Amino acid sequence: MTQRGHVLDDTWYLDYATGALGTEAQNVMIASHVELSEEARARVDALEAFGGGFLETADAEPGVLPFDADDILRKDAAESAAAPQSGAPASIGIDDDLPLPEALRDYLGRTGTPVRWGFLGPGLRKAILWTGEHGEQLWLLRARPGVAIPHHGHRGSELTLVLKGSFWDGDQQYMPGDVEEAYEGVEHDIRIDEGGECVCLALTEGKLRFDSPLLRAFQVFTGM
Amino acid sequence: MKSGKARMTHGTDRVRSTSDTARLAGLLNRVGRNRDGDAFRALFDHFAPRVRSFLINRRVAPAQADDMTQDVMLAIWRRASSYDPGKASAATWIYTIARNVHIDHYRKTMRALKVDENDPQFQPPEHPLPDDLYERSEASDSVAGAMAELPEDQKEVLRLAFTEGLSHSEIADRLSVPLGTVKSRVRLAMNKLRQGLGEWK
Repeated sequence: MTQRGHVLDDTWYLDYATGALGTEAQNVMIASHVELSEEARARVDALEAFGGGFLETADAEPGVLPFDADDILRKDAAESAAAPQSGAPASIGIDDDLPLPEALRDYLGRTGTPVRWGFLGPGLRKAILWTGEHGEQLWLLRARPGVAIPHHGHRGSELTLVLKGSFWDGDQQYMPGDVEEAYEGVEHDIRIDEGGECVCLALTEGKLRFDSPLLRAFQVFTGM
Repeated sequence: MKSGKARMTHGTDRVRSTSDTARLAGLLNRVGRNRDGDAFRALFDHFAPRVRSFLINRRVAPAQADDMTQDVMLAIWRRASSYDPGKASAATWIYTIARNVHIDHYRKTMRALKVDENDPQFQPPEHPLPDDLYERSEASDSVAGAMAELPEDQKEVLRLAFTEGLSHSEIADRLSVPLGTVKSRVRLAMNKLRQGLGEWK
């Protein structure tokens, strides 16, 4: 086993399965990963089965509820009559070749968040989807084949989920559905696979920190 | 369209309070495939009080728990066609709906009130549930089996996570153990269940 895995620490899956993740951005990130990774799905399935087990053992005091099954059926009929078919979800103007997981599409549609690409570096584009109170960011990275993201470290942690294409970090390859979890102090060198464009969803707690003074200066201009 | 006739018929298919995994899955499947009102009534009798208790355990106020239970039951009726009995038990599928309804309400309330989530009034009270919680389940499925066989320390972590909705770091604080201990207990419990589910399939 290598230090770096392509799935996350199990506590991420636990907090996702119980609904205890701190932010909606974390929830979108983990839901997207679970959608694309079989291994992550299997772990969450097992944990959610415990949730089902606990629901089954919850007290079933009869007669406490102020409504019954027929009230639910009547409510459904009334609401369906009032709003017949909602139809397809509103378009959020995302290019069709962008392979976004359902969880992310739902989030963008629900919050009306546009995907606006900005320059991040040569061959790199970034679209910020959400910024939290403490500077956390949920963003999309779009990289040309073969691009290298030079040696850098992190302030705070970063999760990077591959949606399309692949990248290498050292001798580890990350494919669609894989997540790389980088902690504060972990240094890495990323190289986008030659085979094609790479699109990733990233959740960052702090800014990237480059070793080279030149890149640090560059960072000031790009907001990377 | 829904069948009005099916909704007029009563009580032909009610489940008893003892859990019966296959029967509940069958009922949910019938709701999904046939919009079967009787199957829904039987599911309601079994799950609605449990969903409400589950929410109360997560410190939802009773009036809100009633509203949210209504939302959960309505979602079951509307989304049952996406239920796959081969993938999860009815309880597990309904658990995920209850969890999502709870998260949605919580986020809406927090946004509306702009409150500090770390305020002590939103912290869990110290009221451990009875130790015999697991023994009360008469479910004979692999989940109940795996849960019953878990060591106490692993059960405790899962109980705090699922019934009280605590995050892994809140669990470490509550139990005064290092984060790594919570992680290893979660991993052991999860692997045990995966093994059990694998054998079952």
